[in-house]
Amino acid sequence: MSKLKAGNIKKGIYVLHNGKPHYVTKTQFVSPGKGSAFTRAKLQNLRSGATIEFTFKSHDSVEELDVESRELQFLYNMDDEVVFMDPRSYEQTNVSVSLLDGKEKFLVPELNVYIQLYEDKAIGVKLPPKVKMEVTEAEDAVAGDRQNAGKKPVVMETGLVVQAPLFVKKGESLLIDTETGAYLSRSN
Amino acid sequence: MKNWQQIKQDNNLKEKLFVREQVFDGIRSFFKKDGFHEVETPLMVAYPGTEPFLEVFETELVSPEKKQKAFLLTSPEFAMKKLIAGGIGNIFQICKSFRNNEGISERHNPEFTILEWYRVNADYRDIMADFEQLLMFLHKTIHQTDSGILTFQGKKYDITPPYPKFSVAEAFEKYVGVTKDQLLSEEALKKVAREKGYEVTDETDWEGVYNQLFLNEIEAKIATQNKPVILYDYPSSQAALSKRKESDPRFAERFEVYLAGLELGNAFSELTDAVEQKKRFQEDLALRRKLGKTEYGLDQDYIDALASGIPETGGIAVGVDRLIMLMADVTDIKETLFFPVEEVFYSS
Repeated sequence: MSKLKAGNIKKGIYVLHNGKPHYVTKTQFVSPGKGSAFTRAKLQNLRSGATIEFTFKSHDSVEELDVESRELQFLYNMDDEVVFMDPRSYEQTNVSVSLLDGKEKFLVPELNVYIQLYEDKAIGVKLPPKVKMEVTEAEDAVAGDRQNAGKKPVVMETGLVVQAPLFVKKGESLLIDTETGAYLSRSN
Repeated sequence: MKNWQQIKQDNNLKEKLFVREQVFDGIRSFFKKDGFHEVETPLMVAYPGTEPFLEVFETELVSPEKKQKAFLLTSPEFAMKKLIAGGIGNIFQICKSFRNNEGISERHNPEFTILEWYRVNADYRDIMADFEQLLMFLHKTIHQTDSGILTFQGKKYDITPPYPKFSVAEAFEKYVGVTKDQLLSEEALKKVAREKGYEVTDETDWEGVYNQLFLNEIEAKIATQNKPVILYDYPSSQAALSKRKESDPRFAERFEVYLAGLELGNAFSELTDAVEQKKRFQEDLALRRKLGKTEYGLDQDYIDALASGIPETGGIAVGVDRLIMLMADVTDIKETLFFPVEEVFYSS
């Protein structure tokens, strides 16, 4: 565990708050105008899943948790769990789909992700910034008959719907931004 | 993708960005019909405001004979009050202001738009009424409705006047459970904070614990109200440019107005006593020095203006970008700016 100044905590790290492990989902600078700077953080309790907000003085000490990061490969989806595999040991790890926070639609076979563990329990999944996926459904679109100029919805192999340029066809591979779900480019 | 690139594909973004001009037009109509004049005062000055916790942008004014330090304003307050002292009457200004070394936030941009207005022969209560009317007027003209109900992020806010108003002392009593005397005592307030589980060390001062309690216990509660809230009568140390209350000089005639968790404005019954103002400036500048902030002198011309005789005046600074956020129903200031700071200071 290392001690940080609250003014330095950032989204995506794990900290101890009120003696319990939390994930920092958001930080915001707060200035009372006539006062010094404060940091307002949104913290998700790793055990209960509840999110709270707390405003720290910038110099308050916060303990950062030692979180282990393990690189695993996506194997397949089950109902409420996702199965990953260590490509070296073939050991499988099951992770609750809720940890993917809606991003399970970016998981394609053999995708490498980082699973974060605290006290040997999976607490988070980090995807690469872009994923290559195949288009399974795309209509031929006529330019000019859409509200959103130049875009049409296409369905990807995982079921994800992406707003893509009109020239995109079924069977093509696209690069998708895993942060926003946006079309980035075609891929070969 | 940068805003300018996104406009082509996202009509929604373009419409939101155009709310800015509607807010500007609304502000101008509102004040013009009340006989206010619009003024434009310098953004670059030799003697910026003295707030100990704000940091300024620094540059240099160069002429053949000499070079001198110049700074970008954190607020146009001094110039406007000099004009008031000069007898200009009721005025308003919409201009850019600059604050350096502030952290990342969805509500801050180092270069932002401020609206300040000053009403002579008035005090902060008149300004409260002005604000209530201004917000209604903007909502009415921009959203074409008389309803007085503003929808923001799916929640309905009743913005019809009058707003609920609490003194800071009342808020601390209600939400933190401290008396006025405890509130103003560093020792007592630190004890209360420590008991509530906040980090309190020997270095922690009154301002730190006061604000941390305020932000966690009071501001959080105000944010859930479905009406705008006015908090008034701040401890005097938190109100360097405002008059102390005659009935209790430990508090000053300052108010802030909040809606949907956004602090929209900060107002005062303006301090008109030149001697007291100079003393407060000197204290502030000493604290700036102690905190290692950029140093500069105090605006003696401003002190002279006060000494020359300034009418009793109420004034306010409003964050226009935040007003636009409310009117455009967005939670991130970036969605109101054609070029947020990240898109200006990008790495190439």
